Parts: sequence; C-alpha cells; structure tokens
Amino acid sequence: MQNAKDSFYMALRTRLASINPERTILLRGAVRPGILVEEAEAPFSQLPNDVFVLRWLGLGVDLNLASTMVAEQCEILYQTCGTQSFGGLDRGRQLSEMDEEVTAMAQPFYTPKLNYTATPPAAMLTKVFWDEPRFSPIVTQRDRLSRSANLMVYSYQEQGE
Amino acid sequence: MAMTWFSAPAPVARRVRGYFAPVNRSAQAPVLFDPSEQGGFCLNTPPSPWIDLGWIQEFTRKAGSRTAAVLTGIPAGTLEQVRETLEAQVSLEFLSWTKLTMALATGSQHMNLLAPASGASAAADGAQAAPAVIPQSGSTATFIALAAADAARFTANSIVAMDADYTGQTGFVGSPVSGAYVRQALTDVDYIRRVTYNVAFVSQVSTTGLTLADPLPGGVPATGAKLQAATGFVDREGGSFYQEWSGLFVMEGSQGERIFYYYPRLQTMVSAQESVLPLDDKNKEGLARILLKGQFLALPVTDPLDGERVVCYRSFLPAANALI
Repeated sequence: MQNAKDSFYMALRTRLASINPERTILLRGAVRPGILVEEAEAPFSQLPNDVFVLRWLGLGVDLNLASTMVAEQCEILYQTCGTQSFGGLDRGRQLSEMDEEVTAMAQPFYTPKLNYTATPPAAMLTKVFWDEPRFSPIVTQRDRLSRSANLMVYSYQEQGE
Repeated sequence: MAMTWFSAPAPVARRVRGYFAPVNRSAQAPVLFDPSEQGGFCLNTPPSPWIDLGWIQEFTRKAGSRTAAVLTGIPAGTLEQVRETLEAQVSLEFLSWTKLTMALATGSQHMNLLAPASGASAAADGAQAAPAVIPQSGSTATFIALAAADAARFTANSIVAMDADYTGQTGFVGSPVSGAYVRQALTDVDYIRRVTYNVAFVSQVSTTGLTLADPLPGGVPATGAKLQAATGFVDREGGSFYQEWSGLFVMEGSQGERIFYYYPRLQTMVSAQESVLPLDDKNKEGLARILLKGQFLALPVTDPLDGERVVCYRSFLPAANALI
C-alpha cells in the first residue's frame, strides 16, 4: 500500500513542477514543489498557505480478485489568503488557480507503481490509478479561503507488499 | 527471485472511445482494423482512415444471433447446435454534436446547410446556395488557396463544404464518404456539397485563401471540387438511404490493457433521436445535456481466414507483465 501512496504523491509532485514551477515550499531547508504528505512531515499547527497537502483517510481492500485490490481515500487540502501585492484581494483567483492545478495534476488518472525505498526507485509491475477529484465547497475563515479535493486511489498488491 | 508477472483481475476502465471509418459503398469494402499491427495506437490519433469521435457513453452491445438445437432420437435429445441467424446491435450516446456524430446518429442522409444566395426562397433543408468558388492550385488539406475576391466571401470561424458539382449522375455520391444514394437525376448543382462529409472549420481568412482548423477529411481538394460556406447541418426523419460505417470501440484498462470491438459494417437502425441527461440532481427538470443517441445494426462480412461469416471482432491486448 505504501508504494501506491508514494507513487501517487510523486506523480502529483512531478506534474505540479511542470504545471506551475512557481508553486514551491521551503521545507526542512529545501525548496520543493508545493505539495507535501501531511503524515510524512512534522505536525502542523496550521496548514501552510498556497501549497497542496495530501491527507490519507479511508482504506478498503478487495480480496476476492486474482490480485488484491486496495482503495485508499486521499484528501488534497489547500488554502490561500491571496498575495501581498494585491492585499489579498486576489484570494479567489488564487484559489481558482489551485483548483485548476488539482484538475491538471490528476490527469492522466494513472501512474506506474514504483518502490521508493530503493535507490534509485524500482519499477514495479502494475499501475496505480484513481478517479476524478471531487471538490468540497470553499470554506472562508477571515481572509483565508480553503478547499479540499477527494480522490480514491486504487492499486493491486504485488508480491512482497 | 522476484516475480516478473502479476495476476491481472478484470479490467477496470473509465470510459469507451469510439472511432468510425466510411465503408466504400461502391466497392462494398469495409475499413480493416488489425489489432496486432495497430492495437497500440495513441487514442488521440487513430490510424488512417479512422476518425476519432471522442469518448462515448452508454455503450451497449447486444448479440441477436440465434442458435437452434438439432434433435435426434426418441425422446429427442440435442445432437448439436446450429446458428440460425447472425445479428448484433450496438447502441451508444455521443458526448458531442459534430457533423459526424450527428450523421451517425441519424437514419438517413445528413446534409450541410449551405449559406443561402441573396434573396433565395426558403427551403426546409436550406435555400438555394450562394455560388460555389473554385480552389486554386497550391491548396492542401488544411489550406484552401482562393482568388482574393473569392476569399473575401468567407469569414473566419465558419464552416465550409468542399466537393464536386452535381451533374445529373445517379448512384452513390460524395467524397471521401458516400453521403447519399441518388436514385433519379436531380436538378440541384450543389447537391453533392449538401450531403458531403468533406467539411471543415475555417480558422483564418487571408487574401490568398482559407486556413482550416482541421484537415479536410478528403485531403487535398480533388480536381473539379468546389467550395461553399455552410451555416450548420440538417437531417430528416424519413428517407431511404442507409449510411454504412466501420466502427471501432476501445476500452483502455487501468493497467494499460485494451479491449477492442471492431465492427466492419454498421448501419444506423433508428431515426435521429436524442437523450436528455440532467447536469446534476438539482437540475432534474432544468439544465440538461442533450446527447445524440446512436443505434446500429452490425452486418456480416466473410472472414478471408476461414470463410466464416461474422459481424464483430473482439480483441484483447493484455497489460504489460500480466499473467494470461
């Protein structure tokens, strides 16, 4: 299961770097594409603005198949206060831009499964795939707009997983 | 040693992609699809002459072939089975309205509404058309060279139809697709351009000609072909002409496997009809998408491999690394 989660995250991260190279985050001293996995970082008192945060939620397993299928629910959270240069008045536009980036990152709806514990990452035999993102309504908290997108990420368990 | 294969469960596919290609009606020759040679094609760029009709929904195959038992003995028992009739139907909904999807979803001729001549009398399938213009040498599938005065009669973001004048012939007419079968001579010189599938969208007009957004289905304009502007399309309930197409439907699974359904001969079997799909639960009686509904009868071909008569080929290209 972890290989599928890692592969999904790395696919989105690679795609984001191509879709919007300007969206970055300084994390643990390194500038990275502006997307991170919540459970793989130190706990946040508040989610960072203008980056995507992946949160893994539900889990389902179908054992009645030739290969076990695992379905993992992923929530992509993001929020913005707009930019300083516009005094935050562009926060709606900034959120729309992030909506579009989520839609673009999700396509195509599959990626090869890799084992990222190996160096370099080792290609596995199957692909990870997911459904269309379902967007939540915008939540307004003072000058902050936030939203989340939910996807179900599917993968087949391989030997050794 | 690490395994190099996995046991693949049933394919998981998101949607179905449809491709059609015109059957050569005069030669009664359907278009071939060979999955062993062409099965790996990019879904956005099908092999020629297949035309991409985009994603479709409600794709349903129904086998109508009937078998009967040959009985023997007292009391009778089944000795063997025989196939009495050979029939299959395909139905689907197109997710876009284009010249081709409209044509496929209608039971008869599909016509272009040619831009009318000034002061022409009204007609249900388009008034008398403004005179056609002659393409100049140097035209290609995506650029129609015209004299400056002729080019000035066209506008960007419009539709054009390119085909020959009608000169009183009977039989199948239209190129590269037979758009109609003329049983008795007509008088409309523009008739072939009314029924032709050789239409395109004009993206740009200059003094030297028209630049097209997509290539003309017929390629470089043929000698004798003429050009007219069109304002839209029209089809009719009734008529006696049945279009015939080769159809190819592709389902791509989550692991890259592909299922192909290849119908060498498909004829529309119902008149034009639509289905209404509300945009969401809130709009059950409000905003709705109007989908073209197609229903086709598959006609048989004789497979040269062994002389068997068949209506459909189903092919499966397994995923990489998948155990078969």
